[in-house]
Amino acid sequence: MVNQRLMKRTIHWLLTAVVIIYLITGFGITEYRIVERLTFGLLTKSLAHQIHIGLVIPFIILLILHIFLPPLLKYFKSKKLGNK
Amino acid sequence: MRKAITSRGVLLFVLALMLVAILSYGVDMDVDEAEELGPVEIREYEGVDLSSINAFRENSIGGPQEIDVESYTLRITGLVANSKNYTYDEVVNKHQHYKKVVTLDCVEGWSVTILWEGLLVRDLLAEAEPLANAEVLIFHAYDGYTTSLPIDYVMDNDILMAYKMNDVTLPPERGFPFQLVAESKWGYKWIKWVTEIELSDDANYRGYWESRGYSNSADLDKSFFGD
Repeated sequence: MVNQRLMKRTIHWLLTAVVIIYLITGFGITEYRIVERLTFGLLTKSLAHQIHIGLVIPFIILLILHIFLPPLLKYFKSKKLGNK
Repeated sequence: MRKAITSRGVLLFVLALMLVAILSYGVDMDVDEAEELGPVEIREYEGVDLSSINAFRENSIGGPQEIDVESYTLRITGLVANSKNYTYDEVVNKHQHYKKVVTLDCVEGWSVTILWEGLLVRDLLAEAEPLANAEVLIFHAYDGYTTSLPIDYVMDNDILMAYKMNDVTLPPERGFPFQLVAESKWGYKWIKWVTEIELSDDANYRGYWESRGYSNSADLDKSFFGD
């Protein structure tokens, strides 16, 4: 039970972090002059671009897990209780 | 009292970020100010639908450049037998001009299909007579931007240096007086505000974006990262 909760929370927070980074790196591509200045040159356009592209698959996986994990866990839990 | 970070708080933060993004697109709109109408451009050419000249995203390194056409010179330098200095009129009126519909694909994900009109870069090179060891053309722009292309690419293809788009003279924000039409290359090779073409034997030369991680070959059918 605790593990399931921890798993859901971890996915939730990871997805949140990915969405925020996705937004910031998106700005880092299209508004690179502002973002480079705000980050003191740390987030350059090419770095933002590479991170942005690299985050697509993790974002999709986390989103799918975020949507489908709770009902799946619920289903398995009810099945387990039904077997007892 | 210390407040814990709640998921609601994070959600509000994300929504606030999105709101700032949406608002930043609308802040320039002022209904009281009269808006200048753009020049009349064509939007269809021989059955091909053309994008508007205003459909570009402004993503240059220093913002739009205002170039004084009276003092402007285009220089051909480096490994050539005859270095050249052309005025705007000499480039435009003393060379054969061509028209071509070419699509610009930007690494940011947008693209525009435009009828470009200009002269062939190889016609300019022919007048300057490149030396045998010249391998690369380094294009310099008014804002300090640079990019390079292999000389073979320019000689073997009909590469235009455009001064008109959709039958309209290039506006300052689109690269007046000249923009390179580097077809089959990613948009960062389409240098605007060209002031100099330098011929070099440095095959490893990397321009502004190329030295910041983007591909030097910039072929459209390949990734824009890497070599």
